[in-house]
Amino acid sequence: MPELPELNPVIHGKLRLALLSLLSGVDEAEFTWLRAKTGATDGNLGAQLLKLEEAGYVSVEKRFVLRKPQTLYRMTEAGRAALTEYVAALRELLGGAASSF
Amino acid sequence: MNAETDKSELAERVKLIESMIGEGRRSTTKWGWSFVLWGVAYYVAAAWATWGQSWLAWPVTMVAAAVISSVVGSRIQRGKPETTLGRSVGAVWIAMGCALMVVLISLGFSGHGDAHVFIAIVGAMLAVAHATSGMILKWKAQVACAVVWLASAVAACFGSAKVAVLAFLIATFLGQIVFGIYAMVLESRRRKRDGAVNA
Repeated sequence: MPELPELNPVIHGKLRLALLSLLSGVDEAEFTWLRAKTGATDGNLGAQLLKLEEAGYVSVEKRFVLRKPQTLYRMTEAGRAALTEYVAALRELLGGAASSF
Repeated sequence: MNAETDKSELAERVKLIESMIGEGRRSTTKWGWSFVLWGVAYYVAAAWATWGQSWLAWPVTMVAAAVISSVVGSRIQRGKPETTLGRSVGAVWIAMGCALMVVLISLGFSGHGDAHVFIAIVGAMLAVAHATSGMILKWKAQVACAVVWLASAVAACFGSAKVAVLAFLIATFLGQIVFGIYAMVLESRRRKRDGAVNA
């Protein structure tokens, strides 16, 4: 019997997976937009984004626009590769049932 | 946890990925108002130039419309993510707007332009921008606007000055105002349909 692939535990968390998927469709996104799309609390969102940042899957840029702080998140190449691998592993585990993204 | 539960959890993850990618890619831009604004600006400038007999009518109205567009546009876009699609469409309009502004102002100052030339240039440039944007977005309504503007440009080449002006006014109404209102209605429907998707 062929060995089943393991799912990346950093990505497997529901909120982290949602965040990476959201970031895969945009060039960059603000913290507030990610919060609105996921409905997560500030604390939880910040913690999960920090885990993704520590894993090298997202990069962060902090800046001021019209004197207001703005935190921008971007998906890194490593993050894109990790998400692609995760989707491939999911497909394999589901027996090719998952649709293509 | 049994194998069935495992599988349903994995299937749930697949659904989450699909819905979030869709959320990220979904256009969150609101630009319908700017088409209406520019359409109204053309009418204001045309009326001012005709009845006010002022050479300032077009440059002042166009600069005012450009300032309002950029200020309101940046306020609306604040906090929203930038997508490759949005940047592509935006680039088409910004490039067209800058080129049009420079050429029309140059023609105005040089005195080489008349109604035919102005309308042919405006019509052709707007046709190119609408067509490119419509093809990028795969939006037939916008491609139809391109056809309307191109028709006005052709009418300006062959028709009398009166015909050229009439073609411009019709194209402004259909290609800017009606199209802008239609885009605003679609944007409003989309906003109502899309709520926060909790992960």
